[in-house]
Amino acid sequence: MNNRLRVLRAERAWSQADLAQHLGVSRQTVNAIETGKYDPSLPLAFHIATLFNLPIEAIFFPDGDGKETGER
Amino acid sequence: MTRVNQFLSSLLLPPILFLAVYIAARALLEVVDPTPLRVTAALLPIPFFALWLFTIIRGVRELDELERRIQLEAVAVAFLLALLLLLTLGLLEIAVTLPPEDWSYRHVWAFLPTFYFFGLTMARRRYQ
Repeated sequence: MNNRLRVLRAERAWSQADLAQHLGVSRQTVNAIETGKYDPSLPLAFHIATLFNLPIEAIFFPDGDGKETGER
Repeated sequence: MTRVNQFLSSLLLPPILFLAVYIAARALLEVVDPTPLRVTAALLPIPFFALWLFTIIRGVRELDELERRIQLEAVAVAFLLALLLLLTLGLLEIAVTLPPEDWSYRHVWAFLPTFYFFGLTMARRRYQ
């Protein structure tokens, strides 16, 4: 899965540690999600969506989708 | 201190305690004679191992989902490496005569921490 997590985080001037604290996960988990090395569980994906006040599909999308994360 | 490092640090005291009691039990077995006392000495480390096990389980429950996956992969690698070592020792014992004081199944436990940390390193690198 690709995602716009890094872009959304940057818009709020949050560090990975800040976002990790908001989500109740480790900074390593945030980094792994942002770099596409780990896909979050459904509850965590919903938590992320709620935090950014966006639908899940506005944040996460399948590999090869036309949308870009902005850093690849 | 990160949560994972807290988890690893919390693992240190119970196994150290268990090891200390284990060594004490081993020393007791050298000097204690009546069988009931010897059995008691042999069973003495068990409650301390239970404490260690409880600490690990509690620690795992406090980890987030990625940290749990990493620990699972580390334990899986350690288990498989230990199994490989046991099976290899079994075949080697058939192939050649291994000196039991140097190469025996009872030496396998000493490799387990190394296998675990090897698996942990591999798993952590995968998600960095």
